[in-house]
Amino acid sequence: MSSNDPLELIDQYLDRVRVYLPLDSEDAIVELQTHLIEEAERIGEGKMTAGSAMMAIERMGDPKSVANEYAGSGKKVGPVPAEYVNPLSRMLVVILGVALALIVGASIIGVSLTQLFGADIQNWPFSIPVVILINLAIIFVIIGGISMLDRSKPLTEKTTLESFFGIGVEGFKPKGRLDAAGDFVMGLIFGSVLLLPAVVDLYTEAFTEYYVAVAIFLFLGAIRGALFYIGGENNFNLTVEAILSVVWIGLAIILIGVGWPVQYVYANTNGIWYKFDLLDFFQTHEIPFVPFDWIWAFIMFVTVAIAIWRIIVSSMKITMHLRAGRGIWWQGNWGERRRLKKPFWKRVIGDQNSVQTGTTYQDGYRESDESQ
Amino acid sequence: MSMSKKTQEELDRWSKEVKRGAVTLAILALLSKRRAYGYEAVKLLDEKMSFLALEQGTVYPLLRRLEKREILRSEWDYEDPTKPKKYYAVTEEGLKALGAMSQTWSVLSREMRDVIMEVE
Repeated sequence: MSSNDPLELIDQYLDRVRVYLPLDSEDAIVELQTHLIEEAERIGEGKMTAGSAMMAIERMGDPKSVANEYAGSGKKVGPVPAEYVNPLSRMLVVILGVALALIVGASIIGVSLTQLFGADIQNWPFSIPVVILINLAIIFVIIGGISMLDRSKPLTEKTTLESFFGIGVEGFKPKGRLDAAGDFVMGLIFGSVLLLPAVVDLYTEAFTEYYVAVAIFLFLGAIRGALFYIGGENNFNLTVEAILSVVWIGLAIILIGVGWPVQYVYANTNGIWYKFDLLDFFQTHEIPFVPFDWIWAFIMFVTVAIAIWRIIVSSMKITMHLRAGRGIWWQGNWGERRRLKKPFWKRVIGDQNSVQTGTTYQDGYRESDESQ
Repeated sequence: MSMSKKTQEELDRWSKEVKRGAVTLAILALLSKRRAYGYEAVKLLDEKMSFLALEQGTVYPLLRRLEKREILRSEWDYEDPTKPKKYYAVTEEGLKALGAMSQTWSVLSREMRDVIMEVE
């Protein structure tokens, strides 16, 4: 849906351009953003309106072409036109990465592929790529058909194809500075809580052997958060992230065997605190289904899948940064999007002047090579 | 005197080739006097070099390429957080390249003028 807010129109248009740009092209996006705002202000003789923003956007042109002028080689790569190489390769990585993350996560909690899909897979392993290819072909035919209907959309609205191509964009964004701060604070809090004697008392016997290792891992996670908060995304921090993800997978393999870690919770009856045995409660009340190990397996599955994804993304980004000659440490950027839209609270109280922007960039490193 | 279609086509083709060679020199010359951010550079070029008829689609990628080749360097300015500006300036290497290019251009334009005057 097109908005009447000029900044939102520009933001929507840049979202479309972003789909076709390589990873790590936020510098180009910010440059284009400034260009569009200044051009819209010039057209509106000092005042930016929805009309002047739309005129500036129309002058800039088709998002595919703009992105290709910035990043494309202007040639085809195999059968794929240059402008589609970035979104397609990103999609491919996302599909493979998610598949790998799910498969590894599932196998760590002891679920086999056949259980996952509910049937035996015939002609393994050849059937897998064939099925993926057939499904991709079907998806492309369907989306191609829908895209025909998108032709009359304004420049600020994503086409169906772009929405599809844009799926992977979020997954590759650098860690936000607030997220990094959150990692730091939460790592410290949870790590400390795990070590509190009153909490240690609640663990199952099996988990008491490992809680120190989990707490240490959480503290290391806090250090990672601090590093990202200070340095943004750079090769050192990405390496730390990848190593910690590998460590977590190793730890998860052990923890899944340990099972649900909490045997007791504190309860209060008539003003007296006591330890309430969770497992005993299920057994004495003859409740046939004890959900804790399932919950634990699910938590392990999700965290391992996330760890796998982080390893994939970190490895890709480290390679990309090394190719661009950036070395190990530099002042990297953070992943907050430069939301040009007014925040909800400002819209509610009617703030007319300000625009929400996060300072996400630091100077000091050059843009990457056009990755074609 | 109106131009024939063929002459117009030939002129367009030739203009394109001349522009291609001139644009780097024009950008370096402008940025050697003072640093400028992308939009500013586009407008400056538009104002001072109307023959080149440069648009953002040409200028931004060229600025990026020149930066990558270390002929230009850039610096972000966040003074206005709504409109962060990436300022481009000519590097030492860029200034040397600009000097050599300007000399070549002077020789070329002088010789071209002589040749054209002979024709006229």
